[in-house]
Amino acid sequence: MRVTFERRLRQPRWLSLAVPVGSVVFAFFVAGLVLLVTGHNPLTTYRQVFDAAFLQTGSLNQTLIAATPLAFTGLAAAAAFRMKLFNIGAEGQMYIGAITGAAAGLYLGGRGGSSVFVIAAMVVMGFLGGTAWALIPGILRAFFKTNEILTSLLLNYVAGLLLTYLIFESESYWRETKGFNATVFPTGKPLPSSAVWPAWTIHLQGGITIPFGAMLAVAVAVVVWVLYKRTRFGFEAQVLGDSDRAARYSGVRVRRKILAVMALSGGIAGLAGASQVGDFSHSLDGDPNGLQKLGYGYTGIVIAALARYNPFAAVLVAFLMGGLENAGNTLQGANFPAGLVGVIQGIILFSALGGEVLIRHRVRIARTGHAKATGLETVS
Amino acid sequence: MNNSLLIVLIASGVAYGTPLLYAALGELLAERSGVLNLGVEGMMLVGAVTGFWTVQRFHTGSALVLAAGILVAAACGALMALIHAFLVITLRASQIVSGLALTIFAGAAGLSSYLGNDLKLADQPASHTFSAVFPASMQRWPVIGPIVLGQNVLVYISWGCVIAIWLYLSRTRPGLNVRSVGESPAAADTMGINVTAYRYAHTLAGGAFAGVAGATITLAITPQWVDGITGGAGWIAIALVIFAFWRPEFCLVGAYFFGALQALAPQLQARNISLGPTVLWTNALPYVMTIVVLVVVSSGTARSRLGAPEALGNPYSREER
Amino acid sequence: MKIKIKLALALAVAAAVALVGALASSASHGASPYKVAFIYVGPHNDGGWSQAHEQGRQYVQKALGSKVQTTYKENIAVGTQFNQTVASLAAQGYKMIFATSYGYITPAITQKYPNILFEQATGTYLAKNVAEYFGAAEDTVFLSGMAAGAASKTGKIGFVVAYPIPEVIRHANAFALGAQVTHPGATVRLVWTNSWFDPAKEKKAAQSLVAAGVDVLGQNVDSPATGQFAESMHIPWVGYDSNSSKFAPKSWLTASVYNWGPYYVKRIQAAMNGTWKQGFYYGSIKDGFTKLAAYGPGVTAATKAKIASYQTKIENGSYNEFAGPLYDQSGKLRVKKGVRMQVLTGGTNSLYGMNWLVKGVIGSPKG
Repeated sequence: MRVTFERRLRQPRWLSLAVPVGSVVFAFFVAGLVLLVTGHNPLTTYRQVFDAAFLQTGSLNQTLIAATPLAFTGLAAAAAFRMKLFNIGAEGQMYIGAITGAAAGLYLGGRGGSSVFVIAAMVVMGFLGGTAWALIPGILRAFFKTNEILTSLLLNYVAGLLLTYLIFESESYWRETKGFNATVFPTGKPLPSSAVWPAWTIHLQGGITIPFGAMLAVAVAVVVWVLYKRTRFGFEAQVLGDSDRAARYSGVRVRRKILAVMALSGGIAGLAGASQVGDFSHSLDGDPNGLQKLGYGYTGIVIAALARYNPFAAVLVAFLMGGLENAGNTLQGANFPAGLVGVIQGIILFSALGGEVLIRHRVRIARTGHAKATGLETVS
Repeated sequence: MNNSLLIVLIASGVAYGTPLLYAALGELLAERSGVLNLGVEGMMLVGAVTGFWTVQRFHTGSALVLAAGILVAAACGALMALIHAFLVITLRASQIVSGLALTIFAGAAGLSSYLGNDLKLADQPASHTFSAVFPASMQRWPVIGPIVLGQNVLVYISWGCVIAIWLYLSRTRPGLNVRSVGESPAAADTMGINVTAYRYAHTLAGGAFAGVAGATITLAITPQWVDGITGGAGWIAIALVIFAFWRPEFCLVGAYFFGALQALAPQLQARNISLGPTVLWTNALPYVMTIVVLVVVSSGTARSRLGAPEALGNPYSREER
Repeated sequence: MKIKIKLALALAVAAAVALVGALASSASHGASPYKVAFIYVGPHNDGGWSQAHEQGRQYVQKALGSKVQTTYKENIAVGTQFNQTVASLAAQGYKMIFATSYGYITPAITQKYPNILFEQATGTYLAKNVAEYFGAAEDTVFLSGMAAGAASKTGKIGFVVAYPIPEVIRHANAFALGAQVTHPGATVRLVWTNSWFDPAKEKKAAQSLVAAGVDVLGQNVDSPATGQFAESMHIPWVGYDSNSSKFAPKSWLTASVYNWGPYYVKRIQAAMNGTWKQGFYYGSIKDGFTKLAAYGPGVTAATKAKIASYQTKIENGSYNEFAGPLYDQSGKLRVKKGVRMQVLTGGTNSLYGMNWLVKGVIGSPKG
């Protein structure tokens, strides 16, 4: 019996949806087996996960809080990976965006600007910070052909060191120096009230609070979708992603595209950082046990892959992932296995990757005795 | 003299570079066959935790249990690599995403953490560790004392591996075959070489080496288990393969260079030598240097002459040849 | 068309979630045990800071039995993850939360849950429902420094430290002052790792110190890697946070350890009785908050006796290691003779605000 894969010429729409959903279901099934084998009841665990993520009072709020940065990093990864530019540096770009966004907030807010102006400036500066950081691997890739995977990843560590340095190891602009508390333990300077990002409360289920960052992420998703689907930029980027050579022959300026896509991707990741400062921490969080422990940038990659690089799907998946992260915090403790979140995320990703096969290829199971496949078989 | 900065750095470089060397050698084998595996960090952690568990669990003679630990680590590393191999070779999924998924699955806050927790491996010293082979008196000999004679058996075995892999790739038939699989799988296929089998074998070997690299950390360097104990070494190893132009002998030099770089900051601090304007500069130095070397090595001419296997990162399917 | 499919998918997921939710039973009400949660910044079994708190929690569970229900959350990052954790604990009916690291407690979160009592370790923020707690670990670190000084032949001691913040600087100074009592003229050399818990970095720091000529090692970081290295080099070692002698049975001298349990029991009982009040608690050896871990084989009887005598003097208040005259590294007099440094008052001459190193410490207070 032989199993062969034949490339499909057309990829059925329903499959593009069924496969990611199916892979999540499959992943939970496999993870359930893992739980069972190690002595935990999968059904109760999963029920607890749903409870903690979406159903308990106030849990939706917490899920939205977790999902906001994930939506940005997921979009950042999707924007780049789609073009086969593997920007693993969203984590570091987020930190730099936090730094530049916080700077804008502290400086302009301190000068008494109107809230709208200050927040807009934070958004712009956060974006630019992430862009600048992403352009380092971008330039190295465009002009020096250096593998962007490694350069962007290594820069994550450097960005983390810089973030910690600004608060823990120096008397920088971002650091709070007034007051006794400040000398006891390093903290960031609090944002003036005009720089605090707003949130809107919907009066359902006890009040669901939607942070401004979440709405910004949705807007960014729309922009990215339009950019990739309806503009020449997007079309050229797609061609470049599919085939380097074809793009060059058709006049696409490869270097510029690389820089532009990295800049876009990095900027979106930078927004994740600005949102962290503006929406949640209201100061620059340089604590190595703070923002740097959460790995939002890396989770974004999982989200993008599962969403098959579609911006809207990325936002939805980010929401679900936010729920999973939230539930993980709720459930962990003496009874819930640590490391399970990473295991589940990994299995989801593996399943999604495996499922890709079904989308791209048709599986043929032929009985032995058929002529050996030599490429002469027609593909239907 | 043996405590001079240079000697200490070189000796530290050898010691701390050994896990990097093992992991890089493994990744080199996989990449030579055309498979990029970014999951090195995850495989190292799984090897680290399973090797540690073996040593804690079984209580026979020291040498035997340590050897068992290394074997178990290798086997588990290979098992992790099998997932990646299946996805990218048989199912032809994206090698990059699959490797990243493996790191997330197996790495810190993933499977290795799960195992470390469930098996209650934290907060205990390893019951057996690899210690220096030669007696203390010999270790005091000038220069070669600390650098060569002060190391444990895993270091010496790694030297053997470098030589073995070098011979394998340049002097044996299977070694030449794998090189052609990596350069042009289509051509290799027509010549009757089983591309799939070679890729599987070398990817699994890569996993085994990564597992051993992880066990080197938990059984020799810092003999305890802590979530994420490899601290990013897997990524450095991947970079290392690139700087080494995919050659084992250069992996050795590069690994020791990086090992020394990591030991540099504390050594300078202890001697009150300040390397740069701030502590930030000294801490960031290893990463910045890695990037600089990567850029230099990847630039045009170097890459075209001594470069990557041509088919690295691309799935091979006969039907689409 | 695609957007419609996404919406449909979203609705389907929401429906599925609601369905599962409908099957879920509601949270239990009116459970009689008093629910207390402990939040750790690291793993509960890190052999260091968080583990000491975990031991405190277990002490509480044993002491108060079925009257309390305790739980812990580990590896919780400062910031939004902490807030999420508090939110879920609140939803599960927890009434008291011990946040065991600085930076956890913010006015926003404590004001959001006015009916939950918060206690933070090592911080300074106080509110109607927030108390702070820490203790004079510097006293026991001082005593452990005495053991180090006595064990050193050359007077050169190494100390592995984390971040250049007052808490760590204070401990490094206390350690040096102790070493200088048993070994006049002793120097303490610092290497900063920039991490509370990183075995690889700590080992490298320890190695560098030994290469620079020290013959005793100490630390203010949380893993026992320094000790494992010390054992392999046959040099004495002073630990921190917990008794880690199993990692270095021959090198082990002693360590300053925290004993959080009794404080926890006291506060939880007060909360259950309704007598809990906000406040700043600074424990000491006398009330059992800190103590020295059991001695290793390398501590001589004479040293033990000397340490015991100083401990008595500290307990009855007749001696304080941070009393003048104290000179800084450059030789300048910082604290006049007869003046004792206070915990909170005195700016950079207070224990909580100290940002300079005493004479005999080699290294930069800036990291």
